[in-house]
Amino acid sequence: MTETGAVLEAEQLVVGYGGAAVCGEVTAAVYSGQVLGVVGVNGAGKSTVLQTLAGRQPAISGEARIQGLLVDPDTVPFRRQVAAVFDDDLFFPSLSVTEHLLLVARGHSLPNPELRVAAELEFFGLDGRADAVPDALSSGQRRRLLLAAGFIRPASLLILDEPEQRLDPVMRDALARRIKDHAEAGGAAVLVTHDPGLLVETAGSCLLIKDEVELVEPGDGAAFIAGL
Amino acid sequence: MPASEQSVGTIPVAGRNLSRQLVSFTRRQSRAYNRSLTSFGDAFADVYTSVLALGCAAAIAVSFVAALRGEMVRADPLSSGVAVHSPVAMPAGLLWVLLTYGVLTGILMAARRLGPVAVTGAQGAWWLPLPLDRGPMVLPTFRRRIVWVGLGSTAAYVPFSILTGLGLATVEHALAAVTFGACCLAVLGIAALLQPGGGTPRRALAGAFLALAPLAALPALAGRMWPLAVSALAAAVILRRALHRAGAVPGTDLIRGGNVSGHAGASVFFLDTNELLRSFAGPPRPVAASRARRFYARPAGSPFAGLVKADVAAFLRLQPPVVVPLLWLAACLAVLVSDAGLPAWMQLAFIALAGCVVASGMGAVARRTALLPELDTLLPLSPASVRTSRLLMPAAALALWMALLTGTLAVLGAGGPMLPVMGILAGAGMGAGCLRGATRPPADWTLPPVDTPMGPVPRAQLSALLRGLDVTVLSMLPVGLALFVGQAVPVLVLMQAVVSLVAVLAVLLAPAGTGRGQR
Repeated sequence: MTETGAVLEAEQLVVGYGGAAVCGEVTAAVYSGQVLGVVGVNGAGKSTVLQTLAGRQPAISGEARIQGLLVDPDTVPFRRQVAAVFDDDLFFPSLSVTEHLLLVARGHSLPNPELRVAAELEFFGLDGRADAVPDALSSGQRRRLLLAAGFIRPASLLILDEPEQRLDPVMRDALARRIKDHAEAGGAAVLVTHDPGLLVETAGSCLLIKDEVELVEPGDGAAFIAGL
Repeated sequence: MPASEQSVGTIPVAGRNLSRQLVSFTRRQSRAYNRSLTSFGDAFADVYTSVLALGCAAAIAVSFVAALRGEMVRADPLSSGVAVHSPVAMPAGLLWVLLTYGVLTGILMAARRLGPVAVTGAQGAWWLPLPLDRGPMVLPTFRRRIVWVGLGSTAAYVPFSILTGLGLATVEHALAAVTFGACCLAVLGIAALLQPGGGTPRRALAGAFLALAPLAALPALAGRMWPLAVSALAAAVILRRALHRAGAVPGTDLIRGGNVSGHAGASVFFLDTNELLRSFAGPPRPVAASRARRFYARPAGSPFAGLVKADVAAFLRLQPPVVVPLLWLAACLAVLVSDAGLPAWMQLAFIALAGCVVASGMGAVARRTALLPELDTLLPLSPASVRTSRLLMPAAALALWMALLTGTLAVLGAGGPMLPVMGILAGAGMGAGCLRGATRPPADWTLPPVDTPMGPVPRAQLSALLRGLDVTVLSMLPVGLALFVGQAVPVLVLMQAVVSLVAVLAVLLAPAGTGRGQR
C-alpha cells in the first residue's frame, strides 16, 4: 500500500508520446475495493493513461505508484501486483486455450492450477473450446481468453482497457459481476469503457478525460458516454 | 465463479526453476501440436528440399569463388582494376581489414535493431507479465542466435578468406574463418550489452565502434593461433557477461527487438526487400523533425510545391543516418584504389552493389507513402506529378553520392574530367530506380512458375523482386563502362544522359497501378 493506503496513486501524471502530452494531468487514488472508470472521446488519452499505469508507456512527468511501488513492469513485485488486459490479440499459435491459462496459473504458482483453469473456462464460456488453438477461436472468444488470463491470476490492481469490446450482452453482464467480485474480495480496478451500463454497475468513481481530467460520479461519466 | 477469495493476495515469487519449467512447457506443447500437423512425408520433403537448395547454392558459390580466385592469382596488381593510374595505392591487407571492419559494424547495427535479446509478440504478452525471473525466458532464443551467428559467420568468411589470402593453406583459412566467427560473437555480445536500459549513450556506442577496430584486424592475421585465442577469449568474456545480464533487459526493449526480428524474418522468407528495409527503419530523428517543421511551415505557392515541401520534410525526418552511404562510398574507393589485384569487373560489380544498397536506402519516404496511397490523392495532382515530387530528394541525394564517388575517382586519375558529370546523371537514374523499387508491389507467390528449357522458373516473382534494381543497375551501366575503358568519352556521356532520362521518364510516366502507391 501507499502511505495513504491507496492501491493506486497517481500524482500529477502526464502521459503521451515523444514528450507531447495527450491529455491533462492525472491525479487520482484508487483504494482496495474500489473500481475507477475512465471515459472520454476517441483519442482523449484513456488507453495511454492505462498503458502508462501498466508500465508499457513511460510517463512524461509525474509518478504513479501501485501498492507503494513505482510503476516498473521490469520488477517482479510490480508484476505480481498488477494484471493488465489490453486488446493485444497476441497468442502462442500452437498452444490451446487451456494451455494458455495453465501457463498463467502456473506462472503465478496458483494451487490446483488445473481446477482454476477449468473454473475460468466455464465462467468465460470457453469450456467447449478448451482444446482449440487461438486461430480456431472467434474474435469474441479470443477476447474472453484474454480476460480469463487477467482474472485467473492474483492481482491487487486490475487494469482493463475496454473489456466489453467484442463481448455479447450475457458475457458483458458476467464481466461486470466478475469485476465487482474482484473489488469485493479486496482488489482494485481501473477500467476504460465505452459502455455506460458497465461503468455504472462496476465503478465507484470516474475519471472524465476531456481537455482537463476531472473526477466525476459514474452516473455523470455514463451520461457523457451516452451523449457522444 | 472461480474462487474470488483467491483473486487477491500474495503468492510467493517462484524463481528461475519455475520460469524454466514454463518455457519448457510452452515449447513442449507447441512441438507436440506442430508434430500432430506434420506428417513424416512433409518433414522428409522439407529436409530434402532444404538440403538440395543449400547444396546447389554451395556448389554455385564454390565454383564462383574458385573461378574468381584463379583470376586474382593471374592478375597483375599494377595493371588490373579501373584506377590503375591512381597516385594512391592502398595495401591489400588494409583493404581486407577495412572491409572486415565494415562488416562487423554492419553486424553490430543489425544486431542492435534485432535485439539481440528479444521475445516474440506472444512471449511478450504471456511470459513477460509473469512474476518470474525473465532469464530463462530470453536465454534459449539468445543462445540459439549465438550458435547461428557463430556458425553462419564462420562459414561466410571461408570464401572471403580464400579470395583474400591467396597464399594460405587450408588450415590457415579454417583458422581465419573461426577467428572471424569468434569476432562476430563478440560483436553480438557487445550489442547485447548495449541493449539494457534503452537509449544507449552515444559514448558507449562510439566505444563499441572503436572496439571493433582491433577485432577486425584479427582474421587477417591468420596462420597463427594467437588471433584465434584472443578473439575467442574476447567473445567468451563478452558473451558471458551478456548472458548474465540478458534477463535484465527491459520488457519494452525485448518486445521491440522481437517485433523487428519477426518483421525482418518474414520479409526475408518472402524475399521482400521493401518490408525488410521497413522493419529496420528507426523512428524519425527529433532534430531533423524540428528542422523539417520550420521548413514545412513556410508557405507553398502551388499544390505541387506543397507536395514537394512535404516530401522534402519527410525525407529529412525519415531518412536513415548519412553515415551508411558514406561508409559504402569509402568502401568503394578503398576497393578501387587498393593493390589487391581485383579484376576491373569485380570492382565495378562492387560499385553496382553499393549503388543498389545506397539507392534502396534512399527510398524511405516512398516506402512509407506506398503503404497509404490514398494520401497522394488528397492533392489535385496527376500521378506523374506525385512521382516527380517523390523522386526529387532520392535523385538529388544519389546524384550527390555518385558525384562524390566519381569526382574522387577523377581526381585519382580514373575516367577523366567528364566522369563526375556522368556520375551526377547516373544518380538521377538511380533515383528513378529507387522510387521504382520502393513502390513495387510484393511478389505474388501464388503464381505458378513458367516452364523453360532450364526447368521451371518463377518468372513473375523474379521480375517483382528485381523491380527497381533493374533501373538502378541500368543507370549505372554507362558510368561503369567509362570506368572500365578508362575514359568518359563524349559518346558515353551522351549515352549516360539518354539512359538516365529514359529511366526517369519510364518511372514517372509508368501507367497507373503498376506499383503500390503509384496511382
